[in-house]
Amino acid sequence: MRVLADHATVVVSGTKLAEEIGISRSAVWRSVEHLRELGVAIAGHPRTGYQLEQVPDLLLAEFIEPHLRGTIFSGTGKLRHSFRTGSTNALAMQAGAAGEPEGAVWLAEEQTAGRGRGGHAWESAKSVGIYCSVLLRPPLSPADALPLSLAAGLATAAAVEEATGLVADLRWPNDLLLGGKKFCGILAEMNAEATRVRYAVIGVGINVNQARFSGELAETATSLRLATGREWSRLELAVALLKFLDGAYRALVERGPGPVVAAFEQRSSYARGKRVRVKDAGLPEYEGVTDGLDARGFLQVKTAAGVRTVLSGGVREI
Amino acid sequence: MNQKELKELIEFLIEKDIAEFELERGDVKVRVKRAGEQTVVSAPPHMAFTHHAPAPPPEAVASPAPLTTTQKAAAMADEGLHIVKSPIVGTYYESPSPGSPPFVKVGDSVEAGEALCIIEAMKLMNEIESDVAGEVVKKLAANGQPVEYGQPLFAIRQK
Repeated sequence: MRVLADHATVVVSGTKLAEEIGISRSAVWRSVEHLRELGVAIAGHPRTGYQLEQVPDLLLAEFIEPHLRGTIFSGTGKLRHSFRTGSTNALAMQAGAAGEPEGAVWLAEEQTAGRGRGGHAWESAKSVGIYCSVLLRPPLSPADALPLSLAAGLATAAAVEEATGLVADLRWPNDLLLGGKKFCGILAEMNAEATRVRYAVIGVGINVNQARFSGELAETATSLRLATGREWSRLELAVALLKFLDGAYRALVERGPGPVVAAFEQRSSYARGKRVRVKDAGLPEYEGVTDGLDARGFLQVKTAAGVRTVLSGGVREI
Repeated sequence: MNQKELKELIEFLIEKDIAEFELERGDVKVRVKRAGEQTVVSAPPHMAFTHHAPAPPPEAVASPAPLTTTQKAAAMADEGLHIVKSPIVGTYYESPSPGSPPFVKVGDSVEAGEALCIIEAMKLMNEIESDVAGEVVKKLAANGQPVEYGQPLFAIRQK
């Protein structure tokens, strides 16, 4: 793949590919067939060779890594790309349990078991979204690490703004919305002892180039393409995402939750004065008006019976 | 109302076995609801305590909440049982996803490092592991319900 990309739109002979990769010509043919199955446009020219018809918008490590110098995600072998996997969060959690150092990144073109909060599925169709999970080992107590969840949403919003110019709204704690519809979800998972986080995984799913959503999702979901009428480079967006995640993570570790909470209050229309219905895990639903975040980052909602603290999520505008 | 008075009020409510109680005086509002063995206190922090210095932080307000559970846990600790506590405020889940079987049941043997439950806060799923090997003697939190920082979750008889 990399050799073809280096000679994009030029015909490369099977022999040259075989030499550069160090495999046989028939293995080259099998690899090309495999890439075609995965949706890469490769033309075959009899007796001359193979040609990459267009540089594909694939989230390959070779394309992303050079842009990440100086971040915790920089380094050989830290980015792992798969064309198809169950869930990038599952891969990252397994690696965390196995002792993998922080800064590893999992990117997938397609997830077959993408998941969100509370067992919800995350639709992860092939090469139209970004499905990305990062492994972190914050030197923090579990309570101090919670604002990672807010910081991840803020970082993703900043990345979307840099790559597309679009200013997304944030729904506490970290859903990204355009025109009131969700186009990005974040699932953070953590494994901790009483006083120390062992590892944390932040999974980000962004709907980029989906042309439509079917059924119930059409009511509540959107993509950057649906919101703007044009396609966007997933590659640029993924690079921006990892850069901003790096910055947000370092800032939280160095300066604590204060700046994260303040930034969220400034950026999110949900932070203050929004009428919401709250379905917080196993508790009875209630309604109220949002009233800022507390010092730890929990959303406060004014209700007829006093101010309540939203613990988990499930906040919807009414 | 100060923290001591609030504590006395809760103790009184428990003693008289009153399930739900609400008090409003000017801009001071206190609501106490006891769900089964647990006591849930919701007192809006800035509204309720700004008039009496020093104002206790929200954590302090909430700390008398799991009173009965904490007392039970203290008694169990006396019996030599190991108590696993919640490292964060959040929602307690006994299983990895809704509808799936719980991580552990009473009577199960667990190893150190084995997952016991998930506490969710700010949509961050926090896997809590057992820090000892032993037998799960009691599960002290209710599925889908809020837990406080430091609230006892499991009593484990160490091997």
